[in-house]
Amino acid sequence: MSTRLVLFSACLLGISPGLPAQEEQAAATSNPLRVTDADLRQARSPQATRDILPILRRYCTGCHGPETSEGGLQLETALNRKPLVRDRDTWNNIAFLVGHRFMPPEDEEQPDDATRRRLVAWIRVQVDEFDYSTINNPGDVPIRRLTHHEYDNTVRDLFGVDVRPASQFPSELSGTSGFDNSANTLFLQPILMERYLGAAEKVLNAALPLEPQTEAQKKAVARILFVRPGGDISDREAASRILDRFLPRAFRRPVPASTRERYVSAVLARLRSGSGFNLAIREILQAALVSPSFLMKSETPLAGDGPTAISDHDLASRLSYFLWATMPDERLTQLADQGTLDQPDMLDAEITRMLADPRAETLGTRFAGQWLGSVHLGTRIRADPIDNPWCTETLMTAMRAETAMFFVSLVRDNQPISRLIDARYTFLNQELAKFYRIGNVRGPKMRRVELKTDQRGGLIGQASLLTVTSFPGRTSPINRGRWILADLLGTPPPPPPPGASELSEELAERSRLSRRQKLELHRKDRRCAACHDAIDPLGLSLENYDWFGRWRTRRRRRTVDASASLPEGHKFSGPAGLRRILLARRHEQLVNQVIRKMLAYSLGRQLEYYDETAVRAIRKTMAANEFRFGTLIRAITRSYPFRNRQRQPDRPSS
Amino acid sequence: MTHRFAISRRSMLQGTGAAIALPLLDVMSPHTESAETADTESAAPRRLAYLYFPNGVANGAWDPQQVAPGGTIGSLNRWMEPLKPFQQQLVVIRNMWTPEGNGHGAGTATWLTAGDYNGRRIDAGGVSADQLAARTIGQKTLLPSLELSLRGEGFFSNSLVRNTLSWTSPKTPAPRDIEPRVIFDRMFRRGPASTSERSVLDLVREDARSLKRRGSFADRRKLDEYLESIRSIERKLAFADRQADRSQALKRQLVRPGPGIPDSHREYIRVMFEMIVLAFWADATRVSTFMLDHGQSNRYFNFLDGVKGTWHALSHWKDYDGKTEDDDGTTSWKSAEEKKRMYNLVTRWHHEQLAWFLGRLKSITEGERTLLDHSMIVYGSSIADGHAHAEENLPLLIAGGGGGTIRGGRVLKPRREMSMSRLHLALLQRAGVPIEQFGDAERPTELG
Repeated sequence: MSTRLVLFSACLLGISPGLPAQEEQAAATSNPLRVTDADLRQARSPQATRDILPILRRYCTGCHGPETSEGGLQLETALNRKPLVRDRDTWNNIAFLVGHRFMPPEDEEQPDDATRRRLVAWIRVQVDEFDYSTINNPGDVPIRRLTHHEYDNTVRDLFGVDVRPASQFPSELSGTSGFDNSANTLFLQPILMERYLGAAEKVLNAALPLEPQTEAQKKAVARILFVRPGGDISDREAASRILDRFLPRAFRRPVPASTRERYVSAVLARLRSGSGFNLAIREILQAALVSPSFLMKSETPLAGDGPTAISDHDLASRLSYFLWATMPDERLTQLADQGTLDQPDMLDAEITRMLADPRAETLGTRFAGQWLGSVHLGTRIRADPIDNPWCTETLMTAMRAETAMFFVSLVRDNQPISRLIDARYTFLNQELAKFYRIGNVRGPKMRRVELKTDQRGGLIGQASLLTVTSFPGRTSPINRGRWILADLLGTPPPPPPPGASELSEELAERSRLSRRQKLELHRKDRRCAACHDAIDPLGLSLENYDWFGRWRTRRRRRTVDASASLPEGHKFSGPAGLRRILLARRHEQLVNQVIRKMLAYSLGRQLEYYDETAVRAIRKTMAANEFRFGTLIRAITRSYPFRNRQRQPDRPSS
Repeated sequence: MTHRFAISRRSMLQGTGAAIALPLLDVMSPHTESAETADTESAAPRRLAYLYFPNGVANGAWDPQQVAPGGTIGSLNRWMEPLKPFQQQLVVIRNMWTPEGNGHGAGTATWLTAGDYNGRRIDAGGVSADQLAARTIGQKTLLPSLELSLRGEGFFSNSLVRNTLSWTSPKTPAPRDIEPRVIFDRMFRRGPASTSERSVLDLVREDARSLKRRGSFADRRKLDEYLESIRSIERKLAFADRQADRSQALKRQLVRPGPGIPDSHREYIRVMFEMIVLAFWADATRVSTFMLDHGQSNRYFNFLDGVKGTWHALSHWKDYDGKTEDDDGTTSWKSAEEKKRMYNLVTRWHHEQLAWFLGRLKSITEGERTLLDHSMIVYGSSIADGHAHAEENLPLLIAGGGGGTIRGGRVLKPRREMSMSRLHLALLQRAGVPIEQFGDAERPTELG
């Protein structure tokens, strides 16, 4: 068994991916592996767990036990990690594999169907019916460095010059949460430290040159070096006043007198060794830019072990990095100083102000771009410019901007989440409009365009997303289907089980079949159909878009067939049909996914099982107001994990 | 060709030419005149490099054509031919694997850790062999270790698991360097003068300490990362102070590479290899890893005569109609045989680059022997045959004498499958890392 079997993360307990509970009743009536109400009742009984252990020992722990933990799964350890919902994905995976007869492997002893159902039912009860009211954990994020984007933005807002030194930093790797601001991937290594040193010098040279030239430089000098020694102002006093103003801004929190004093002493030491005042100050400001207090996001230390409300300054910082991907501005800091930021009306007014600010566009470029994958267009995914001269940098920039601007417009206009799917407008410039064959859009500037065609509208039909889910030169219905299930709806299908690649090999031999025919043949195999019945039709309904999102009606001399159906039987066709069916049958998953993704982004960490309480509370608030984005953002900023922290148990690595 | 990468072309010429004497490092073995060979051997530091290539090799491409009884290599096969000049310093390994984690992702991340990799968490199950060495013998040099990689092309270029060979802790991937100039500068150039002053470093170190005092366990770990970064900058300042008395031969070759990434892939690989050569030569580090592409490289090798398609697609050589989900959908091949041949040509091309590197090491004299004699170069992959996705019998070899402790010119083929952990143990012990166990291995592979 390969390790990838434990990779997936889905809530698909013995059912097909993306299939809501009520639908499943209708879908499979005669399946002997279908968990019955009687199975569930039995699984809820107090001794159920005790009864399950002998089953696991007989069929599973031979390979997944202390001796050989095949595929990285050691059941004895897993069972000891309580509540089991902590490892929801692992247990869901086990239920899926057992419930579809993928496990145990064919050459091992097989449990009968009733035993399989018992095991699956028990996992469903443990995981799905877990009582979240028993836990009360807001989670915590350790000190971590700024992302490269946050670094550039923070430096820009601190000095008022847009130098963007982070373009020279080593590239960031994407980890498990899907966002670059996730604490567990933000490592700080010597090589990056060297770049920080260089960047600090570069920034100060640009912002505070000894002989300021540009308006921005003059302004920065006047704002930061606002006092000079001379007359009755001593060196110490001038340095103190400058640092008193600068350090709390740079460190995004009140600075203790002892810290301020160390920086002042460093300035004075430089003056004693003959340095000029401005130069001495500049070198110390440079030092502040490589201090962990600037480079890293840190919050007020926790005193006890219980949940603790974050401070007003921490709230200001969380808000600004969430909505702006940069440091708090003067107004936020002022409100935090006064201790009024967390008053509900004040917070509400501030969020309104912040969303209207240009900096809130990072919700489109950073949040939506990473969530949906459009950030990869032009970097990880691009067409060979020699064979595809139409694929210009400006086109790809416009494609990315379309997705980002569309998303931000929904947030600013306080639209319902369903508009992600059925909006009747988008953002285009002339080049992209021509690509979409839409007329009357002139010039390179992106602007809002009302749509009269069914071919575009909402995320489905945005070229950026259609491209990042394709292979170079051709579409992949499987990739597109997987993207809808996993990224858009948050119900990812599991990876192919062992032996899956042999099948695709046999299919490849029969190359005269059309792709649709191949995929259909592929789904005839029971093991493949378990997931591909849900994946392929979604992707096939988008076959009218080519690999770069251009509309087409013919492919390889055949008329494109974009008809499809959901596993539970609903038929639809093309993007218009897909939009309808997603809103009619998958709205709940869409809402949950948007909540989870945005909460994870706002916290800068991947969600844990205990965050489910907050997700449900946010959902409830939103339900009262048509699931609008404005409500979502406000509910997140009031949520338990956003406003509280709790020290997590130390988990030292070996 | 651009003029910016003059260093690699020049070095290449030197690499094929006569050996270059190295006065500076001779100082490190003060008894050269009177000592026995053995003394010289023990005085020269041993260098350790792990060179990883993705996508495996086709069945048969790793088996020498003739092997005499006892394992002596008679002749290598046609695909390994570029290594012929170094045949006497090669140990070709068969029947070895990494039982815990395999394949393009987990196999890459755990190639040097002996652990397994569960994709849900960033956790390679252990510290990698090179980083263990970096912690001990690496403390004697400017940089504890170098971690080199190539800029990715195509899918998975940002995937952490496929890009990470070196782990400073089971959960902390070591950062990779992909730009030659950046690597050169890390070793041989000073940082920005005003910020890297010691007084500045002292100031910010105190900030870190005060944050650390009040932080949680997880906070303290993050701040340790920060403090370690500060220490490494200080080491660099100290190394730079010692540069004045560097050997003339070395100084002549310390040419700073151009910025960015060379256009030619061959130039790129060679200038990266050259960085390892310079690092070993100047004793800037004794430990290095180098990924000759990430674990599932989708790089096109159309620049080779008779080859088309991406490396990963070629490795699935039995799928030749160009329509599998796996390749680009536009390249197609006539037969599996044709595709396998291209796969082998890519393998052979990489052997040529390895041979160039080994030639450079051999051209540098250290005491009475060469840098290659004092090195232990592991070269291999985490997959055997790419189409079968085979996990056992990995393509692996060791080049270099390990300071007279490794007997070359032979095939090492244990009767039963052997865990690569035993090889790691054998090499780490030779490198001077005081360990008795690596992963589950307590008995080192016999290499002498």
